[in-house]
Amino acid sequence: MKPIFVRGISHQFRLTLAIILSVVLFIANDRLEPVRQSLSSVLSPLQYLANVPGVMLDWTAEAFATRNMLAAQNKVLMDQQLLMSERLQRFEHLRQENERLRALLGSPVHMDSRKVVAEVMEVASDPFRQLVVLNHGERTGVYVGQPVVDAKGVVGQVVEVSELTSRVLLVSDTSHGIPVRVTRNDVRAIANGTGDIDEIELRHVAKSTDIVAGDLLVTSGLGDRFPEGYPVARVMSVSRDDGQSYAVINAQPLAALDRIRYVLLIWPDEVDDIPVMPILPDANEPAENSILPAEQTTTDIPVIDAPLDASNAENQSTQEVSQ
Amino acid sequence: MSAHIANGRFVVWVTLFIGMMFQIMPLPHIVAAWRPDWLLMVMIYWAVALPHRYSILTAWVLGVMLDVLLGATLGVRGLAFALTIYIVVLHFQRLRNFPRWQQTISVSVFVCIYHLVIYWTEFAIVGGTPFNTDMFLPAFSSIIIWWWIFWFLRNIRRRYKVR
Repeated sequence: MKPIFVRGISHQFRLTLAIILSVVLFIANDRLEPVRQSLSSVLSPLQYLANVPGVMLDWTAEAFATRNMLAAQNKVLMDQQLLMSERLQRFEHLRQENERLRALLGSPVHMDSRKVVAEVMEVASDPFRQLVVLNHGERTGVYVGQPVVDAKGVVGQVVEVSELTSRVLLVSDTSHGIPVRVTRNDVRAIANGTGDIDEIELRHVAKSTDIVAGDLLVTSGLGDRFPEGYPVARVMSVSRDDGQSYAVINAQPLAALDRIRYVLLIWPDEVDDIPVMPILPDANEPAENSILPAEQTTTDIPVIDAPLDASNAENQSTQEVSQ
Repeated sequence: MSAHIANGRFVVWVTLFIGMMFQIMPLPHIVAAWRPDWLLMVMIYWAVALPHRYSILTAWVLGVMLDVLLGATLGVRGLAFALTIYIVVLHFQRLRNFPRWQQTISVSVFVCIYHLVIYWTEFAIVGGTPFNTDMFLPAFSSIIIWWWIFWFLRNIRRRYKVR
């Protein structure tokens, strides 16, 4: 069959059409989230496919690891675990004490929230933005705005979710801001990304503010997005130039943003099955007499159990979702 | 040429999707800035070989897909692809008859145009992106892969009689 348009529509017309469509997309970008989400779900197999070489490399590295290497690694991990569990014992004691004191004061008790370990998929992202792709999506319950942390500090927040993957905006992106406070003296500020992967800055801080190099910045919990108390960055330099209206403060994110591999997705509103104490309305009552299941507050049980349970529960919840 | 019924449409789309996969493939941090534009190379080849079947609008659709995959503002790469391929299809006769070295130089110029358009639109929409000559590095790496892609896709086109 002969096509109707032998020469087709003119190139100029096609180009004009493409430009108009692009401009429409630019303008409607914010409203196209559902479209983008479904497209990205359709295209995510491509991302999994592109990730295959990296996975293969990991696999070969594992398969060819010698017995000695594994033994050495095992020893390091055992040592680390011992140190950690010792620290955890002290921490557990402090946590209970803290909760009891908070309960006495009538202030809300911190709860442990649901967490899921996610892996960063090694796929390319827009070079002008600081984004990474995670291997968990809507199916795990990931939502837009969800905080993401790693072992050292805050990584960023989820900005886009598809069925099986999600995209995280790093704290170092120019469009990212995170409310922080200085641990030393509770000074509050907002840390903005600079587009440079190992630098964030505190903007609009008065020159008289007491912030010095070396201060630790943690999330302040203001803004209701990031839970309170996660470390974000360490102040590297503070310059109080007379020519500037504000102090110029640069900080370095604690999370190794350029080589993150595993991160934690946090659900601040969902309480995990980890034993927690509810809020006590009556401040006069001692914390021990609360309505809690007894074994969770008493200190007789080995404290090590709690984190073990926690990790089990976490695994279970991940498995449940993935099935 | 275009009076024939299209043949091997499937093959062309497979090559384009493979190109897209390579485009988002992980690269070590050091060479990440040198990432060649695989998808653009494949698209340029098909636009030169079959300009009446795969041209501006195909390129636009691919660009939008790439935007989705990269998490960029929708339409940025769509626009850049459409503009670049427009220049390509205007000169497809010349490009076909160019000696190989001349063809290669033109392709690297197309890559530069593509990256400039992306930079400008990102600058206009998102703003605050500093100008960095690093964005022209793919022009060099694309030259190298262009030789291979041209040879490879020409074999595919002949083998599967893509029209």
